[in-house]
Amino acid sequence: MIHHIQNKIYHVEVLPPKQDSEKLEKDLERFSNKYLRVMDSGYCACITDNAMGLLSFQGTEIIEELDLPVIPEQVMIHLNTFHTKDDLDNILNICKTKGIRYLLIITGDGSERLPKLHPSDVGATDVESVTSVELLKYINREYPDTFVLGVAFNPYEPEEHELEKMERKIKAGATFIITQPLIERNEIVDRLLEKYPGIPVIVEAWMSRKLHLLSEAVGYEIPENTEFDPISTLKMLHKLYPGCGVYLSLLGFKTQYHLIKDTWV
Amino acid sequence: MIAFTDAKRKEYRNIWVVAEILAGGIQSVTHELTGAARTLADLRKSEVWVVVMGSGIEEKPESLFAYGADVVIVVDHPGLSGFIDETEAKIMKRLIIKYKPEVVICGATTRGRALIPRVSVMTHCGLTADCTGLSIDPENGDLLQTRPAFGGNIMATIRCSNHRPQMATVRPRVMKSPEPDPGRTGRIIKEEMLTSDSEKIKQIIDVFHSTETAYNLADAQIIISGGRGMKGPEGFKLLKQFAQRVGGAAVGASRAAVDSGWIPYAHQVGQTGQTVQTKVYIACGISGQIQHLVGMQSCDLIIAIDKNPDTPMMQIADIAVVGDLFEIIPEIVKGITNL
Amino acid sequence: MKIVVCIKQVPATNDAKIDPETKRIIREGMKAILNPFDTYAVEEGVQLRDKFGGEVIALSMGPPKAEASLREAISVGVDRAILLSDRAFGGSDTWATSYALAKAIKKIGDIDLVICGKQAIDGDTAQVGPGIAAHLDWLQATYVMAVEEISSSSIRVKRMHEDGYDICEMSFPAVITVVKDINTPRVPSLKGRLASNKCEVPVWKPGDIGADTSKIGLNGSPTRVVKTQPPPPRHTSTKKIEGSSIECAQSLLRELRLRSIV
Repeated sequence: MIHHIQNKIYHVEVLPPKQDSEKLEKDLERFSNKYLRVMDSGYCACITDNAMGLLSFQGTEIIEELDLPVIPEQVMIHLNTFHTKDDLDNILNICKTKGIRYLLIITGDGSERLPKLHPSDVGATDVESVTSVELLKYINREYPDTFVLGVAFNPYEPEEHELEKMERKIKAGATFIITQPLIERNEIVDRLLEKYPGIPVIVEAWMSRKLHLLSEAVGYEIPENTEFDPISTLKMLHKLYPGCGVYLSLLGFKTQYHLIKDTWV
Repeated sequence: MIAFTDAKRKEYRNIWVVAEILAGGIQSVTHELTGAARTLADLRKSEVWVVVMGSGIEEKPESLFAYGADVVIVVDHPGLSGFIDETEAKIMKRLIIKYKPEVVICGATTRGRALIPRVSVMTHCGLTADCTGLSIDPENGDLLQTRPAFGGNIMATIRCSNHRPQMATVRPRVMKSPEPDPGRTGRIIKEEMLTSDSEKIKQIIDVFHSTETAYNLADAQIIISGGRGMKGPEGFKLLKQFAQRVGGAAVGASRAAVDSGWIPYAHQVGQTGQTVQTKVYIACGISGQIQHLVGMQSCDLIIAIDKNPDTPMMQIADIAVVGDLFEIIPEIVKGITNL
Repeated sequence: MKIVVCIKQVPATNDAKIDPETKRIIREGMKAILNPFDTYAVEEGVQLRDKFGGEVIALSMGPPKAEASLREAISVGVDRAILLSDRAFGGSDTWATSYALAKAIKKIGDIDLVICGKQAIDGDTAQVGPGIAAHLDWLQATYVMAVEEISSSSIRVKRMHEDGYDICEMSFPAVITVVKDINTPRVPSLKGRLASNKCEVPVWKPGDIGADTSKIGLNGSPTRVVKTQPPPPRHTSTKKIEGSSIECAQSLLRELRLRSIV
């Protein structure tokens, strides 16, 4: 992962079409266009896994169905704990066959419609509920030396609790970290960097103007009329965290994509 | 559907309650509904009848008089030992045709919710589920049934003026059980189960009783929920104890607790878990992030227990207990045991 | 074995809008989903078909766009789907709905088993499943948490109750309503979804199922929603309990007893 940062490779989030899409063919085409554009730019496309518990199609099945090219260094899929055991193994096997190496392992968001892995599915005996830690252990055990596994860090949760969880994630085999979106310097992230100097950290930049969506996503309150300019915030993050990679969420492909080309200097 | 004429409507009198019998015992929901029926019957200057169907009913049906019943119809037959929806529905239909009640109320339990819809179709009656309020027009006997709809966002009032009887189910613990008046008396009517009631029936192969946690979150009337403040799976054992002592309570959790692996996801309340609207929600060590609040804020009574008095949960709670929940909850459990 | 799964499309959001005239839910413009409880019914139908052979048919009554929920059922393995849709069905309560569905089930013919979700999340009545059974005069089992056994002529199920569960056996034809414990519904795959887009979903009108028009729609519904209003505001102030742990416990116990909670 470290060479992603050294080579200034942006991680660009691409949302797969939702299950309830009324124009699925069109959505697939748009997904495909975005994905190919990220490939062309030499960036890394990061495909979410039922983000916010909203049912979507899996990155792996779309890549298969649309026969999209996989450049191993340029694809990352999110993988959460809301799957059946069969689906989980199916996704991991497609990744292996297709050469997708980067996985972001998260506990994820549930919903009424999403199944949840049981501890016994991943051979966990010491927990009541499967979290990213158990999933990491499972993948490392069942698919040794196949994947590069990353985890999420949420600086909006109580610090002690979150750092303690991070310690367990690292022990379970995580080798890179992606933070929740930052819109300014964050002291908890600073301390994370201090604690894990050897682990690549990617900070997430919130590219939507709609800050309230961010406060909904991470559950932390942002005053309603806060002025927010995503591009200048991105530039600021590069300055504040020069040793970190950047993950772009909700990037506007029409309005912003051309603007980010020269921001990482 | 052809509406009843005024004259036909007037043939129907009295407020009926279908008793909930478990293992030969009359359940408290029956007392609650008898009390509610009493209020309606008084307004209509009519009687409260309770229908008791079962086998070897140990508890004396007379006990229902104390709660406001004037008449108890008893159908006691070995064929009614297990819950056979079809048989009980046929008996109910016969009794309704014979005695013409104006209103039939039944507990919104798994049995009541299986039985009454069947009866309502067979007798061509309107039925309203899970009423939280019942009132009656003293003049014409129209039952006004209030129930929450759409996740508790609206209250709907429902009426079925054109048909009799009018049927409603009410969840346990929604109505208050009246103080029993041991001096009240009434009449017992014994009715038979006919062979025609049990044609083509299903067979109950086996019955298992367990008080463990037959309740899931959605069906519970009380949820005792824990968050990050529970500190670990041990904390949830404490909540399970608490829930068992309260009886019929389910254990809920915040996302933080589930994401820490302390309790299965099925217990998660909130935006990415379940939305609940119970009578009582006891939040233990839950700070109350907005994602959690949207999942439980329409509960009737919210109690929060937390060390920190300033959390959002403590702000929205009806009762906020400031203190160490690892000391307070065991005390409460002890207190309930000693009742 | 021939199975019908009855499903309902329901509004997804919690902030429902109500028509002030009809007092009914305004469904237009609201996101619609397959009733979550029905996904368990669909999954059970598909699993039973896979195990015992035969056919599983999804049936729904609703506006034309309810077709999307039927397609979702097809995308996870249902063989075909039928939509009951007509203005005349509008305004149906559970009595009229279960009547129309029962008529359609008769029309399909030779059905062994009808599976419904335990209830729909918009109405929460749990009345349509037993209602269908009553209209058809078939046996029923509600709150089914497991199908234990199936023979050519009967089904054995585990029913959930407040105080435990029981196991009962009934001969076909029968209606069951299922709870979440019964299975884990699969999520539609992209392949399944793309295939379901190509299926025809026939629309049946009251005439197609031989429905008595006095028993469907608003006319056939004994209940009337006469008023809707916001729920009463929850509370105005927080009652704070402080002190030693024992004092706190005692004060809270008093509050709980006062409200007959314990």
